[in-house]
Amino acid sequence: MFKPKALLLCSIAVLAPGAQADPLPPDATYRPPPTQPFSEVKRMDEQQKAAVMQRQAALLGERYDLADRPLPGVMMSGGRKPVQGGARVKLAAGMSWDRLASLGPEEIRERDLLPQGFRPLPHVKQATGGQVFPQRQIDVIASLEQRDLRRFDVDMDLPDHLTPEFPPPIFLTTHPELGDVSRGQALTLRNFYEIMNGIITPVQMEGLRLLLTPFPQEEFNQTEDRKVAAPSMGVACLDCHTNFHTNAAFHLTPDVRPQSARFRLDTNSLRGLFNQQIHGSKRSLRSVEDFTEFEQRTAYFNGDHVSATRKGVHLPDRPNQVAMMAQMQNIIDFPPAPKLDVTGRLIPEKASAQELAGERIFNGKGRCAECHAAPDFLDNRMHDLKLERFYKVGKTVNDQVALPDGPIKTFTLRGIKDSPPYLHDGRLPTLADTVEFFNLVLGLKLSQEEKDALHAYLLTL
Amino acid sequence: MRSPATLALLAALALPAHAQLGNPGVTDPATAQARPGMPAAGETNVADRLFLKLAAMGNFGEAEAGRLAIARSSDPRVQAFARQMVEDHSATRGKLESLARERGLPAPAMPQPDQVEAKKRLESLSGTAFNTEYLAVQLADDQKTAHLLEWEINAGQDAAVQQLAKETLPVVLEHLRQVQALIAETSGAPPQGLAAASPAMPANRR
Ligand code: HEC
Ligand code: HEC
Repeated sequence: MFKPKALLLCSIAVLAPGAQADPLPPDATYRPPPTQPFSEVKRMDEQQKAAVMQRQAALLGERYDLADRPLPGVMMSGGRKPVQGGARVKLAAGMSWDRLASLGPEEIRERDLLPQGFRPLPHVKQATGGQVFPQRQIDVIASLEQRDLRRFDVDMDLPDHLTPEFPPPIFLTTHPELGDVSRGQALTLRNFYEIMNGIITPVQMEGLRLLLTPFPQEEFNQTEDRKVAAPSMGVACLDCHTNFHTNAAFHLTPDVRPQSARFRLDTNSLRGLFNQQIHGSKRSLRSVEDFTEFEQRTAYFNGDHVSATRKGVHLPDRPNQVAMMAQMQNIIDFPPAPKLDVTGRLIPEKASAQELAGERIFNGKGRCAECHAAPDFLDNRMHDLKLERFYKVGKTVNDQVALPDGPIKTFTLRGIKDSPPYLHDGRLPTLADTVEFFNLVLGLKLSQEEKDALHAYLLTL
Repeated sequence: MRSPATLALLAALALPAHAQLGNPGVTDPATAQARPGMPAAGETNVADRLFLKLAAMGNFGEAEAGRLAIARSSDPRVQAFARQMVEDHSATRGKLESLARERGLPAPAMPQPDQVEAKKRLESLSGTAFNTEYLAVQLADDQKTAHLLEWEINAGQDAAVQQLAKETLPVVLEHLRQVQALIAETSGAPPQGLAAASPAMPANRR
């Protein structure tokens, strides 16, 4: 008599424990191949786009006060954009920051009082994900390189005034006397040589050329699985890291699966990389070289080397190309912080009483310096802030499942006023929001006066 | 007491204080030499000749921009800086022209092409926009000039031309510092570059 079940059990017994076949879906790790012709996908994406953007705008509007309210007299380092003021994360009706901070994590979680703006921020279109560029970058690249960075399915969701100045200034460790060497332009393949000729070395120049050279990327390539109208030349490193800073372009973390659980990643600045020992919010890669070599399969292809191979991966040669790209990145300095001395402490004669009070809180009651240690204001570690103490995880918001963030790299606070939005996914629009965030997460119970002082101090870094 | 012959010998051996000890490996073989590796006075190379031309043009353009700023800027700090620029660049112009004349080289009395473009842009602006753009142009111009002077100090071979470059460089770096300080003062951004360490304008230039 034929007994399939017995046979199955028997074979499992023979092969166990290696060959158990769990009934999991087949595409949970790898990117599924497209099932529709490009023209069809494009048509549907375009029809959906307005609704996609509306849904995201509604979410942002619910979470944040997006108004254009600059701090009087406080500009970003290039003097091109004012720094925005005030905490913008919205509180529940009747709640105040001080009341919220006086409650324990359990109570906040049970009563669902954690502001929505403190929770993970979804990508505009979680199901697709991928790189999204701000309009200014799209315009510069279109006019200088005739390359299209515009997606037909999604646009940038953040208003311009809540993103970094564009183009950001460039400060070189090799030429501190020159100040900003960008000449007010965004570096592109068309202008970099003229702008940098004579002030950088041949090796750095070649590194820069490679950092500006577009290579195929998940959404910008020639296959039917792209999100740009015409077959694309691809994306360059500095399309996100404009002038080695950030333009607030974002994508989804390459480091997490499944798709719905992947968190948004706000582009981080490449300033001051030379003094940082771990790279990436999750990957903790140990050198700029390693990150550079692999960024083309992570930022570019969602950490999926299979997809990369299909669409045209660029594998920079380690001893030549990678080394040169890294050497160029390693001469990018932080912006000036003229109120700091050589050890990263405020110079009392140059700082205001409020800034000095802020520094004392930073180093003392606020405990910030325990992770953000001068002079680079980081500790080269990852920390788990355990935000899930404050909210019930697992809720799906705009197709993203909110899960614990887990350990994340401590980002530097040097030049921090230049790089909104804040945290790895850009969930906090202003520095004042970060003060409220850490006041709650670290249980500091700072007074309003102390929070204002801390905020004033962060602006000097 | 030394004999006149010894004095002549000493004079020949002593290096002119400002002469560069250049790399003979890249000297033009046709260069007349005062002694091994030391070009005779007035013996220019390609770098000296290009430098004289580019410096004359850049210098001319910066003085022109300065005059425009004196007339157009509404900010006394920018005007004071522009006056200083006109003054310093007029002084340099005389020196550049006489060096060029002695060597039978042109010292074009016209701006660089990028300065022509910048001037056109500036002429269409007024108020704060003018100040911002003028300072941005001056920042780039001073950066480029510092680069040009540093290039001549190394790549040139005519001691007198190199000497002018050496004398001018600290002045240009001071201009650079002032522009950086002014950009900070007028934009509200933190002082950058040289101004980050000493942001204040010297009292006599306020
Ligand atoms: C989507 C736009 C985008 C592009 C294009 C891009 N990056 Fe990034 N880059 C990011 C984001 C986002 C992060 C943060 C990654 C993370 O947290 O894991 C990052 C992080 C980095 C870091 C690490 C910073 C740190 O210390 O944590 C380096 C180095 C870097 N990128 C270099 C490059 C290079 C080199 C290229 C080109 C091969 C490139 N990037 C292309 C967005 C981009
Ligand atoms: C336990 C270590 C730790 C302490 C203490 C700490 N931070 Fe952080 N900080 C981090 C980590 C980790 C991140 C990145 C978190 C993320 O992106 O999810 C971060 C991010 C930030 C950012 C955003 C950086 C960026 O580029 O987006 C700011 C601002 C900041 N911290 C300010 C503070 C202040 C102010 C304090 C003190 C009140 C403080 N931090 C205390 C670890 C710490």
